[in-house]
Amino acid sequence: MARMKFICDAERCIECNGCATACKNEHEVPWGVNRRRLVTVNDGVPGERSISVACMHCTDAPCMAVCPVDCFYRTEDSIVLHDKDLCIGCGYCFYACPFGAPQFPQAGAFGLRGKMDKCTFCAGGPEENHSVEEFRKYGRNRIAEGKLPACAEMCSTKALLAGDSAVIAKIYKTRVTTRGKGEAMWGWKMAYGGSEKVSDNLGAKT
Amino acid sequence: MRKLAIVAAALALAACHEIPQDAVKPYAGKEDTKAYAGDVFKGDKVAYEKALDQRAQYQNDYAPFREAGKQ
Repeated sequence: MARMKFICDAERCIECNGCATACKNEHEVPWGVNRRRLVTVNDGVPGERSISVACMHCTDAPCMAVCPVDCFYRTEDSIVLHDKDLCIGCGYCFYACPFGAPQFPQAGAFGLRGKMDKCTFCAGGPEENHSVEEFRKYGRNRIAEGKLPACAEMCSTKALLAGDSAVIAKIYKTRVTTRGKGEAMWGWKMAYGGSEKVSDNLGAKT
Repeated sequence: MRKLAIVAAALALAACHEIPQDAVKPYAGKEDTKAYAGDVFKGDKVAYEKALDQRAQYQNDYAPFREAGKQ
């Protein structure tokens, strides 16, 4: 059975926030809740790198281990999901998660927290597939339609890969071993199959 | 004396066993329907896995069909 994972290629991510926007739009995520976000290392410094972060659907998920009401479960595809009807919004999962994936909507005055919300790998939750209840609580179920998460499918540079770990690891490995260095990693030639840039033709007779 | 040595050895080694860390955590919530149980795949797990595999390949810039498209 598949083991669904995300990989973010820091060499390709251009910090466009397309993944975060696709996620927000696909699941109609409320204001203040960010299932996916961009993290930039050395922001503003030449050579900065960005990666897209959400729930990584850990094989040994710490959120699952610390939950006092046992509302987490793992699907056949190794996707970590939770039951919002059971969640008490205690926030233990937030403290346990190394990626800051669990999000808590503000549910009233005095900073009251609502039930935890996180990336579902676009696999919905414990409700009937494609039901109104499922969409309201967990968002759209793309996996049940045979589609991959919206964030990865919308990624313009294909920096964010999603799918079975064996498959995407192979794609990533091919990419890393095939691409060259510098501009060849993700440049004009890679994107359009040929270079017409002046900088690539320096010294050529015109 | 021998009994004492056995008891001492047993006590000394008592902390050496390992508590299993990978115990399956119970789930107390509602049962989820399978991803391939809906209208799209109608319970066909093989078709579901094939669809996801094919979809994942669209992310591969170096796939043969992409190389063919560039020529």
